[in-house]
Amino acid sequence: MVGGLKRKHSDLEEEEEEDGKWDWSPAGLRNCQQALLRISLDKVQQRSLGPRAPSLRRHVLIHNTLQQLQASIHLAPAPVLPPEPLFLGEEDFSLSATIGSILRELETSMDETEPPQNPVAPPGLQNEVLPQPDPVFLEALSSRYLGDSSLDDFFLDIDTSAVEKEPALGPPEPPHSLFCAPGSWEWNELDHIMEIILGS
Amino acid sequence: MAGAGGGGCPAGSNDFQWCFSQVKGAVDEDVAEADIISTVEFNYSGDLLATGDKGGRVVIFQREQESKSRPHSRGEYNVYSTFQSHEPEFDYLKSLEIEEKINKIRWLPQQNAAHFLLSTNDKTIKLWKISERDKRAEGYNLKDEDGRLRDPFRITALRVPILKPMDLMVEASPRRIFANAHTYHINSISVNSDHETYLSADDLRINLWHLEITDRSFNIVDIKPANMEELTEVITAAEFHPHQCNVFVYSSSKGTIRLCDMRSSALCDRHSKFFEEPEDPSSRSFFSEIISSISDVKFSHSGRYMMTRDYLSVKVWDLNMESRPVETHQVHEYLRSKLCSLYENDCIFDKFECCWNGSDSAIMTGSYNNFFRMFDRNTRRDVTLEASRENSKPRASLKPRKVCTGGKRKKDEISVDSLDFNKKILHTAWHPMENIIAVAATNNLYIFQDKIN
Repeated sequence: MVGGLKRKHSDLEEEEEEDGKWDWSPAGLRNCQQALLRISLDKVQQRSLGPRAPSLRRHVLIHNTLQQLQASIHLAPAPVLPPEPLFLGEEDFSLSATIGSILRELETSMDETEPPQNPVAPPGLQNEVLPQPDPVFLEALSSRYLGDSSLDDFFLDIDTSAVEKEPALGPPEPPHSLFCAPGSWEWNELDHIMEIILGS
Repeated sequence: MAGAGGGGCPAGSNDFQWCFSQVKGAVDEDVAEADIISTVEFNYSGDLLATGDKGGRVVIFQREQESKSRPHSRGEYNVYSTFQSHEPEFDYLKSLEIEEKINKIRWLPQQNAAHFLLSTNDKTIKLWKISERDKRAEGYNLKDEDGRLRDPFRITALRVPILKPMDLMVEASPRRIFANAHTYHINSISVNSDHETYLSADDLRINLWHLEITDRSFNIVDIKPANMEELTEVITAAEFHPHQCNVFVYSSSKGTIRLCDMRSSALCDRHSKFFEEPEDPSSRSFFSEIISSISDVKFSHSGRYMMTRDYLSVKVWDLNMESRPVETHQVHEYLRSKLCSLYENDCIFDKFECCWNGSDSAIMTGSYNNFFRMFDRNTRRDVTLEASRENSKPRASLKPRKVCTGGKRKKDEISVDSLDFNKKILHTAWHPMENIIAVAATNNLYIFQDKIN
């Protein structure tokens, strides 16, 4: 009563099937890293499908794996341009920012109403800062909400006057308004997410 | 537990001979998701066995008394009570469904005729009372047998109602509901040895409750960072020490275990002991952290040891030694070269549980293909067994199974590539005193008994 192994065939399986050993040549390692990156990003994007809250443990583990992959790509000797634009060196920062924003989004979606504080709760918990507006905006863009309405309808209500301001010169801070200035860290991040959502 | 075995078994070998006893659940190939068993737990005497499923139901089996006419026949487990513990809920504010799946069941020690258990889903813990009724009163003065009130003026004589036997009725009623204390998903509950308090743990926090008080709980561990982007570790399991009511442990997704003493401070963010095994640099891979994530932690009955389950192994720790485990048992090391595929199909995130036998001499945990593994700590022997309907003839001995990792596959061996990763045994339980085990295989519950004892 033994069934077959149900899994998608991927480049990695071919790697594995050869004596179960990895191809440790620089090219093999890069293929492996890219495949892992692709799988990991798929997983991160998949999580907003379905009505149930995602597993925080799973996301943290995937996030940590992505960070490791990112770090090892940085250390890779030859900067060969990989096919997918997502893996370009200068976008590594936006990659981690994307993941970071997704974690913040998770916080927003799961943590919006803190449970009633009990009398002996430590002071730290009672001064909980409300989630920033920026993650709320990002949350609205997540694929969960893109089902019925088109993006154009979504943008109709948005006041774009803030967007036309000069970009901030200081170090990026968590934004205080709902909207991002072009050229800012949040703008790049937003741009990046839009690419993922629309491009894939 | 001395194995006074039959022919071929050296005396005192402690070898088990596991035999099929019963299987509960539907035979259909098409498994309804709601029927998937999500937790299994014996009570303190082992007479009751509770299961929870994804549909939010709890089924309790009771062991039949052994009949005098057949002293060697082992008591069978039959359905005692079934009830709907949790219902699906919808959080309108966050647009999220709250699953009714029962994550854990924990029995309370029995104090009177009724039985009590705690059951929890992702958000809410409930205390259930299960009680029997086998008598009813007859001969009331003020009402008829069918319940209609009698006209007082018609009553000419008084009588004392008498108790008459009736068919046994087992009633389950929710006595306490402990809600709204967890923002994240509850993964563990553990009853304290004081029998008055219990803890509940979610991904980032652990709360302490009093069984009588539902409107507040004490937060005793909080690992939520101020900035969620800095989150790199979550709580995966927690348990109270079996004898020391001020001590508990919690495990993390990074493979660490923290032991906390509630006497040292109100918020136990600083641990008393920190257990972590140094990583073996030769086996480092991108998956090292994921496979080190601990899915279950269980104290031994003695309270001297604890056991942790990570993706590929089970480790036994001496509470007095934080630097490394005293024992490591490989569950399915042959999966190490398949980690990438298991990452891709999400199997690498499966959370396997583990359990001790009553005397702490053996440990058990599940694997894939409906295999489960047992390790004898004294003889250092281990065995792989399978829960399948094919081996379900009454009292049939289970044949050890073997996975072939490479080269020529011997007869009766199964190759790694033929393993069914949809048939996972995540939940197992061992009777507290006897060699009876309960193994949950998707929607079926298997009960096996040791032939010798």
